[in-house]
Amino acid sequence: MTDLDYLKLSKPAKMAHDLGSGIAAIPGRIAKGLKGLGQWFVKLFKGLGLSIADLVSTFKNGDWKTRLSYLVMGFGSCARGQWGRGILFFIFQTVFNLYMFFPNASLSGCYYLGKLGTLGTLETYKEGRRTVYGDNSFFILLYGVLTIFFILAFIYTWRLNVKQNKVSEQILKSGRKLKSTKEDLQALMDEQFHKTLLALPVLGVTVFTILPIFFMILVAFTNFDATHQPPSKLFTWVGWDNFRQLLSTDTAAYGGTFKQVLLWTLIWAFFATFLNYFLGMLVAIMINKKGIRLKKLWRTILVMTIAIPQFVSLLYVSKMFAQDGLINTYFMKWGWIKSPIPFWTQAGWARFTVILINVWIGIPYLMLIATGILMNIPADLYESARIDGANAFQMYKKITLPYMLFVTGPYLLTSFTGNINNFNVIFLLSGGKPQSLELAGNAGYTDLLITWLYKMTVNDTNYKLAAVMGILVFVVLAVINLVAYNLIPSVKNEEDFQ
Amino acid sequence: MKKVLALVLALAMFLSLASFASAEGFSGEIKIWVAEATVDFTKEQVEAFKAAHPEYANMTVLVEPVGEGDAAGKMITDVDAGADIFGFAQDQLARLVAAGALEEVEPGNAEVVKAENDAGSVGAVTLGETMYAYPMTSDNGYFLYYDKSVVTDPTSLERILADCEAAGKSFYFEINSGWYQTAFFFGAGCELTFDTDDEGNLVAMNSTYASDAGVKALKAMIETAKSPAFVNGSSISNATNLAAIVDGVWDSTPAKELFGENYAATKLPTVDGFQLGGFGGFKMLGVKPQTEDDKLAACDALAAFLTSEDVQLARYNAVGWGPSNLAAQQSDAVQADVALSALAAQLAFCAPQGQYPGEYWSLATALGDDVLADKLDDADDATLLKTLQDFEATCLTYLAK
Repeated sequence: MTDLDYLKLSKPAKMAHDLGSGIAAIPGRIAKGLKGLGQWFVKLFKGLGLSIADLVSTFKNGDWKTRLSYLVMGFGSCARGQWGRGILFFIFQTVFNLYMFFPNASLSGCYYLGKLGTLGTLETYKEGRRTVYGDNSFFILLYGVLTIFFILAFIYTWRLNVKQNKVSEQILKSGRKLKSTKEDLQALMDEQFHKTLLALPVLGVTVFTILPIFFMILVAFTNFDATHQPPSKLFTWVGWDNFRQLLSTDTAAYGGTFKQVLLWTLIWAFFATFLNYFLGMLVAIMINKKGIRLKKLWRTILVMTIAIPQFVSLLYVSKMFAQDGLINTYFMKWGWIKSPIPFWTQAGWARFTVILINVWIGIPYLMLIATGILMNIPADLYESARIDGANAFQMYKKITLPYMLFVTGPYLLTSFTGNINNFNVIFLLSGGKPQSLELAGNAGYTDLLITWLYKMTVNDTNYKLAAVMGILVFVVLAVINLVAYNLIPSVKNEEDFQ
Repeated sequence: MKKVLALVLALAMFLSLASFASAEGFSGEIKIWVAEATVDFTKEQVEAFKAAHPEYANMTVLVEPVGEGDAAGKMITDVDAGADIFGFAQDQLARLVAAGALEEVEPGNAEVVKAENDAGSVGAVTLGETMYAYPMTSDNGYFLYYDKSVVTDPTSLERILADCEAAGKSFYFEINSGWYQTAFFFGAGCELTFDTDDEGNLVAMNSTYASDAGVKALKAMIETAKSPAFVNGSSISNATNLAAIVDGVWDSTPAKELFGENYAATKLPTVDGFQLGGFGGFKMLGVKPQTEDDKLAACDALAAFLTSEDVQLARYNAVGWGPSNLAAQQSDAVQADVALSALAAQLAFCAPQGQYPGEYWSLATALGDDVLADKLDDADDATLLKTLQDFEATCLTYLAK
C-alpha cells in the first residue's frame, strides 16, 4: 500500500491497518532480534578468537615484564613506573584470590561454585539436642551467582592488564613517555571523566539490580518453597517443572487459573487506563469551559482525593461497599434495594466495583495533566474551527483529542504498564477476593498477576512459582509495550505538532 | 620462664572461667515474640523468672510484639532472624516443624506438660510421638455472643435468624473462613483431619465431607447465608447493627461494651436438627532450634516458666486468656467468666484442632465465597456432593509427595 492509498482510507480503516501492520510486524521484529542476537554471538566468538590470538602473540613478542604480568597482574605497569595502575591491578588480583580461596573453606568462592550444581548435599542434623546446620541452598545459589559475576569481572580485568602491557611496550618503543600516576588521576577528572562518573552507578546496578534478577530467574528452576526452606532444609534444581505446573492445564496445575487471571489483568489495565483517561479529560474540559464559575473550587475538591493517602481512603471505601457497609445500609433504608448488593462477594460485581472506585481515585490525576495540556492548545485552532461551523464534538475529535493523544501517548503506555502491576488498588480494595473452588492456587476473581504473586510469596512461601510468575509478567509487559510503543502517535507521526 | 608460667596461669584461669560460665546458665541474648497485648505482661514475668533463677540473671531478654498470626509466617521466611521463643496458634505447628523452625520440647519438661495441661492442648502440641511446643492457652474456640433483648431462644439458629430479621438486626458468622466453617461440617458429623509424621509432613487425609452429612451441612450454610439478617464476619469492632455473632473470647470486652446490660454468651445453636460443632483451639509457645546447648537450656527453662500454672493464671488475670493448665482452669476467677464458660460448654461439641495444610484455609475461603456469591443456591444434592468431592480431591493434593 502506498502512502496515498493509506491517506484515502477512512479513520477506522486506518486504525485497523495500523494495528494489523503492527501485529504483522511482530514476527519480523522477533526475527530481526534473533538475527541481531546471532550476529552478536558470532561477533563475540570472533572477538574471543582474536583475543586469544592476541594473548598468545603478546606473550611471544613481549618482554619479561609483560610475560610476568600474565601471572602477577600489574607487575608490568609497576615495573614501567605506572605505580597507580599497577597497584590497582594487583589489589584486584589479591582480593579475587582471597575471595576464591579463602582459608575458611565454607566461606570461599570455590566452595560456593563447587556446590552450585547441586545447591548443597549436607543435611541439617542434631548433636544431642543441639542443632548443626548443613548446607544453606539459599546462600549457595546467591554467592554462586556472585562468584560467577566476580570471575567474569576478573577475566575482563586480567585481559585489560595484558592489553595495557602491550600498549605500554608499543608506546615506549615509539619513544614516547608513559602517563605517570598523577597524569592518570588528572585524566580521570578530565578526558576520562565519564568513567569516574559511571563507576559507582554501574557497580550499584550490577549488585542491586542485575544480580538479584539473575538470582530470581534461577529460583524459577528450583523447588524453593515452604517445605524446602533454608537453613534447615535443602532445595535443588528441578528444570522446567515449575513452568509446567503454572502453565499446563492438568487437574493439579494452574494453567486454567493463570489464563483467567491474565485475562482479567489485561481487562483491568484497559479499563483502569482508558476509562480514567477519557473521563479525566472530560472533567478537565468541563472545568476549563468559559463561563464555568468557581473553577479553583472544583479542582480543589477533586484534588482532595489525591491528598488523602490511598491506604486510608481505599480501606475506608472498601468497607463502605461491604455487605453491612454504608452504601448497602442506606440503599436498603431508603427502600432502593431489598437485599444488599453483593459488591465484594460476586465475581462480576467485585470486578465492576474495583474499576468504579479506581475511576474515582484516577480522575483527579488525569484532570490535572489534561488541564495543563488543554491550556496549551492554540486558541486560534478552535477559533477557525468555529468560523468554519464545527460543533463542539467535531472540535474535540479533530483538535483536542489528537493533540492530547500526541502529548500523552507515552504517558498512556506507562500508565497501562503501571495498571497491569497496580498492586495497591486491588490489594487494599478487594485483596483479590472473591475466591472460588473453580480457581486453583488460592487466586481470586479480582486478583491481578502481581497480587497473586504476592499471595504466593507471603502467604504460601511458594517462591518457585512466584519466580516463574515474575518472569511471565515480564514477558507479558514486554510484548504489550513493544506492540503499543510503535502504535502511539508520538512515535509514529513524530512531526505532526512541531 | 616466669613469662611462660604467667601465661599458663592466665590460660588456666581463663579456661576455668569459661567452664564456670557454662555451669552458671546463660548470659547472652534471647528474643521473644508474643502478641502485642501481652508484651508488658511477658516482660514482668521474665523479670520474675530471672529473680527465681539467679543463674539466668545476666541474660538479656528482648520481648517484641508479633501477633500469633504473623509469627509463624515470619519464622518460616527467615529462621535466622526469627525469635528464640515465640507464641503461635496450633494450626501453624506442622508448617513450622516442616520448615525446621521448631525445636522439640526438652524430654523432662514434656512429661510435666503432659501431666499438667488438658488433653486437647497436649494433643495439639504433639506431632506423631514428638512434643514440639509448650501449651499456653486453651481458649482458641468460638461460641455465640448475643443481645438478650433481641434473641429470645439462642439454642436454635433458625429462631436466632427469625428474631434478628424481625428486629432488623444482623447475625454475624464468618462463613468463608476455614476455621468457623467447620462448625457446620463437624456439627453435622463430618470429619476432616490430616495425619502428620514426626517431621511435620502431612502424610494422610481423613475426610467424610463428601457424604450425605456433608451435603446437609453445606445446605445449612447456604440456607443461613440466604437470610437477610446474615452478614459474613466475625469481628465485633467492625460489625454494625448486630444482635448475635459467632466469635471468640478475645472479643469479650467489646461485646460487653456493645451489648451492655443485654450481654450474654452461650454455646452455638442447633441448625436443621444438629448441634453446631467446630474447632477447639490452643495457643502455644515454641522454641527455635539452637546451635548452642546453653542457650537451648535457657530457652527451654524460660518457655516452661512462661507456660506454668502460676503464669497462666496471672495471664488470665492480666489479659483474660483462658488457661490450658488443669489447675488454673479450676480457679474461681476462670470458672466465673461468662465468655469462658460459654466456650467450655461449646468445647464439649468440638474436636481439638489438629494440623491443616496452609492451602486448606484458602480452599475453605473459596468454598465460603462460592456460597456467598450464591453460586450454589439452586444446586441439587448431586451438585453439592460433586462440589464436596472436588473439595476433598483438592485437599488430597496438599499431602507431601
